[in-house]
Amino acid sequence: MRNMLAIADKELRSYFASPMAYIVIGLFSLLFGWFFYMYLMVFVRQSEQMMAMGGGAAANVNQSMIRGVLQNAAVVILFVMPMITMRTYSEEKRSGTIELLLTSPVTDWQIILGKFFGAIGLYVAMLFVTALYMAILFVYGHPEWRPIAAGYLGLLLMGGCFISAGLFISSLTKNQIVAGTITFAVFLMLWVISWIGESSGPITREVVSYLSITEHFEDFARGIVDTKHVIYYLSFITFGLFLTAKSVDSERWRG
Amino acid sequence: MIDVQHITKRYGRVTAVDDVSFRVERGEILGFLGPNGAGKTTTMRILTGYMPPSEGRAAIAGFDTFDQPIEAKRRTGYLPETPPLYPDMTVREYLDFVGRIKGVPPKQRKDRVAEVMQRVHITDMAARHCAKLSKGYRQRVGIAQALIHNPDVLILDEPTAGLDPKQIIETRELIRSLAGDHTIVLSTHILPEVSQTCQRVVIINKGRVVAVDTPQNLIARLKGAETMFVQVDAGSEDAAVALERVPGVTRVTVSEQPGVAGGYEVESDRGVDVRRELARAVVTRGWGLLELRPMRMSLEEVFLQVTTEEKPEEATRA
Repeated sequence: MRNMLAIADKELRSYFASPMAYIVIGLFSLLFGWFFYMYLMVFVRQSEQMMAMGGGAAANVNQSMIRGVLQNAAVVILFVMPMITMRTYSEEKRSGTIELLLTSPVTDWQIILGKFFGAIGLYVAMLFVTALYMAILFVYGHPEWRPIAAGYLGLLLMGGCFISAGLFISSLTKNQIVAGTITFAVFLMLWVISWIGESSGPITREVVSYLSITEHFEDFARGIVDTKHVIYYLSFITFGLFLTAKSVDSERWRG
Repeated sequence: MIDVQHITKRYGRVTAVDDVSFRVERGEILGFLGPNGAGKTTTMRILTGYMPPSEGRAAIAGFDTFDQPIEAKRRTGYLPETPPLYPDMTVREYLDFVGRIKGVPPKQRKDRVAEVMQRVHITDMAARHCAKLSKGYRQRVGIAQALIHNPDVLILDEPTAGLDPKQIIETRELIRSLAGDHTIVLSTHILPEVSQTCQRVVIINKGRVVAVDTPQNLIARLKGAETMFVQVDAGSEDAAVALERVPGVTRVTVSEQPGVAGGYEVESDRGVDVRRELARAVVTRGWGLLELRPMRMSLEEVFLQVTTEEKPEEATRA
């Protein structure tokens, strides 16, 4: 535990020592802000129209606005995440610091989990910045906090999947650009795979949409925490970390 | 302290290390000598637990590097060929991090970091980023890193590679000062380094151990035959014939040293001292004996001989 924290701490600090963390957080909050603004404008116009038409039930800010914002955020995360994970193992292998880690009295799993939670730490910082936008909604309106919390839980789990997959890909190569590119391609596949489903038979659609990482986020964005999705995400994360462990171990045997 | 038994490492079809065995006693400095690609780094990586051997076993302080890696690693400090520095950390942050993963207790860590920085003279550089260090300082931080948890065993892969002459001398002094408290294995392809710093040498070539001995014994042992340099003033006569007749002498060749007239290299069987007989042979003929001295082979020549001419079997038997 102590070793894992030491490595997580080192990872997190190295993100913030390079411009990468700031670029990623800045970029993400900029895009998030853009979507937030767009959806807010649409929402305000809709509510005004509804008021003018007779002031029926007020529009639901959770369903018609936050849901859209979070869905778009999920896509932005997909684009940003490779930048976070691409260097995790590649850079250590390139610079030789992997020799330090692998000859220290720490286990492979402590290193992997340390790196995983280090990246999660940066991701949480990213999400935290966006939480400020949500705070604005609370100041001027009365959104329900539970669906928002569910949405953020979804984002966290989905990000965890991206990180564990990215970690694995990074452990395969010395070159972080290669790692980044492959990671990006894989994430993109995991997103667009659901598109094939739309034009094919019901069974294919079922299977394919089950595989898509972003598809599982839909319910979270709606504010629903379904154990089915939680288990999907957790098993995806575990599988990614397991592959990373295998990759690190096989590297050792191959030399 | 270190016990290596019959380790072999294969990468696919290439055998990098082939049945290497040796022991290192507590407090000893062992030199690992061999040309580039001889298998030094691979052997060291196996010792440090970075990779497992294909066959055989290595133990540090009685702990198998493969079966009990954590215990073995806790007792080992390792300086890889390139110091494993994180460029965006300062020297102090870096050493603190290494101390943390090597298991230095939190309360002692600050003192340990200060101590090792003093030991390798990098205290002035504590606040500098590793990326901005010169080659010499990087190497020292690398050694500091290996020392941080006060390990029983230090494994240094080419600790003086790429340093300037002054830094090389300083590094060797540092290594010598570390002996006693630590058992040290260092690798090098530079010969003087071994004779200056090590008490014992393992010569390795093409993955095989060719010889294990003290630098002094290696010289004596690998000479195979004793060689004397004799300079004779024999006038117009050929001294070579007369010298060859001396009992024990196996071969006489005319010395190729420039500017020396009448110089001969006289080879004899090992263990037979032919100096008296040679002197007598010269003097009884009325010639002048100008010089007579044993030719000591430098370790460099030994090394060349070991790694280029002798067959491994012969050398290990010798």
